[in-house]
Amino acid sequence: MNSLLLVARREILTHLRTRAFLIGLVVTMVIIGALAFAPKILGGPESFKLGTVNSQQLPLKAAAPDAEFEWSSFPDEAAAKTALLDGDVDAVLVNGTKVLTDGEIDSQLGVLMQSVNREARLGAAGVAIPPLAVESVGADTRYQAARTGIAVVLVVLLFMMVIGQSMMVAMGVVEEKGSRIVEILFASLRPWQLLGGKIVGLGVIGLINLVATLGAGLAAAFASGLATDFPPGMPGIVAWVLVWFVLGYAFYATLAAALASLVSRQEEVGNVLTPMTMLIMVTYIVGFYATSEPTGTLARIVSMIPPFSSMVMPVRLAASEVPMWEVALSAALMVAAVVGVLALGAKVYERAVLRTGARVKLGDVLRAAS
Amino acid sequence: MLEIKDLRKRFAEKVALDGVGFAVRPGEMFGFVGANGAGKTTTMRIIMGVLKSDGGSVTWQGREVGYGERKRFGYMPEERGLYQKMRVAEQIEYFGRLHGMDQGAAGRAAAALIERLGLQERRGDAVETLSLGNQQRVQLAVALVHDPEVLILDEPFSGLDPIAVDALAGALQERCRGGVPVIFSSHQLDLVERLCDAVGIVSAGRMVAAGTVTELRAAESRTLKVVVRDPAPGWAEGLPGELLLQGDRQVLLTTEGDDQEILHRAVKAGRVEHFGVEQPSLTEIFKEAVA
Repeated sequence: MNSLLLVARREILTHLRTRAFLIGLVVTMVIIGALAFAPKILGGPESFKLGTVNSQQLPLKAAAPDAEFEWSSFPDEAAAKTALLDGDVDAVLVNGTKVLTDGEIDSQLGVLMQSVNREARLGAAGVAIPPLAVESVGADTRYQAARTGIAVVLVVLLFMMVIGQSMMVAMGVVEEKGSRIVEILFASLRPWQLLGGKIVGLGVIGLINLVATLGAGLAAAFASGLATDFPPGMPGIVAWVLVWFVLGYAFYATLAAALASLVSRQEEVGNVLTPMTMLIMVTYIVGFYATSEPTGTLARIVSMIPPFSSMVMPVRLAASEVPMWEVALSAALMVAAVVGVLALGAKVYERAVLRTGARVKLGDVLRAAS
Repeated sequence: MLEIKDLRKRFAEKVALDGVGFAVRPGEMFGFVGANGAGKTTTMRIIMGVLKSDGGSVTWQGREVGYGERKRFGYMPEERGLYQKMRVAEQIEYFGRLHGMDQGAAGRAAAALIERLGLQERRGDAVETLSLGNQQRVQLAVALVHDPEVLILDEPFSGLDPIAVDALAGALQERCRGGVPVIFSSHQLDLVERLCDAVGIVSAGRMVAAGTVTELRAAESRTLKVVVRDPAPGWAEGLPGELLLQGDRQVLLTTEGDDQEILHRAVKAGRVEHFGVEQPSLTEIFKEAVA
């Protein structure tokens, strides 16, 4: 165990010291921080510029409190037309009876003006209409947009972190195999200690990355005011993301290490990892799909099946409410899968890592292992 | 005593080792020589557990060598392996810690070796920035840092300049004097002859000779060399061996015949400038043994 921790410590120190780690961390933090400000910059409240010619301003603000309205008045229709064609105003109310626009009127603005006008006229005629009361009988969807956004960000983050760290593990394995350091190392530690230490060490690096990125994202969300749209239970969602990262990473990193131990040169890593990258891509795509249909049957089923569950379940957790028993079952199945892949991966690694030279056939290793 | 007995190893169709065996006593420096592909590296890798043998045994102090024993061995493989981006001092210390030393002890051992091997100025540099000779010094330091009970070194001197050779050889002799058995393979036979107490010659997977250099010499046929200046013509007629003409000198080389009679005839024939038994060099012994 001690040797495993020594190996992990070396991995952590080595990577913390590289410039690539620092730059990567800062870049992801900046991107995620920028994302938290994006809705404010891109969206913002609706705003309309309106004009009047010989008319009263319509009480639009009372009917649409979220939107901004800016009024200006023109002496005659000709001046209003010029302003419209120049794009200075969106619509002009003339004599309280007609609306001039440049082309089609914005549909929201059109409906708003018509209904406010109607109401004003009816009110003037002494007819009062009580507004319709709206009541939802379905799930609380107030946070749906925010939840979906969070789920999308999380699945992208998980994918990046898991594939990035798994690649690091693969490169490290080949570095040690290709340079034959393993021959010296194995005089002082067991293969599983070297493999385990590498996976743990790079996992810690990944966690540092993930926590820093999530922290930056949350801080930016509070700073930008986006956090007010967050659903209740955010701390729980974040905690689950970390758990699922650990599980997904353990699975894919072990797979990456076992496959990488078959080759001796860095140039061959990409090739030999293809099955793993395919699997992780499929997981990512399914996870991404689940962000739009978090309560669909497909998402519910796939969120139970390892290793897909490692991304689909955190997406479901962020995008909707998930019964506790489903989360527990899914996590238990994933843990079982991790244990299985660890046992098999360690065996492949142990048998292949000393066989330098040409690429070792996976079949040969597995046959020898059985 | 480190005893290697009857090692056998086959790779697919090729027999790599066919009964290799020798013994190295504590404090003995054992030179392991043989042509390329003779089986030196395979033997050393089996001793270090990198390869599994098909038969035979490796014992240290009477016990079968396993993981626990190897943890106290020092090993320098033929294909050097270091973390290229790791700094010199940290790397040596890291391997010390993997062998079970605590941080303080590993740090002190690393510092001592860095000084002993003349790497003080490079201690904070990444290994990849070092010259081949310096990388080899680091490699040796990695093998020595945990004060091993046994040293197994595959071609430690290859590619080194004479100064680096002396630095490495000095470090090895120091360990050897401390009672550590040292096995190293080399193609530099003059170096082996100079450093080693005992030599093992392997050829095509078999031990063809093993023993001290003196023993090996004694087993060789001894060549008598006589140099006579301006001898009377035909003085060597009827004597065994071959006669070489070198200007006004004649050289007789022979492995048989009565040396006293030869001397007598030479003295009568002219001025005897040299008369003696030639010591075969290790190179000659080696060529003879693997022929």
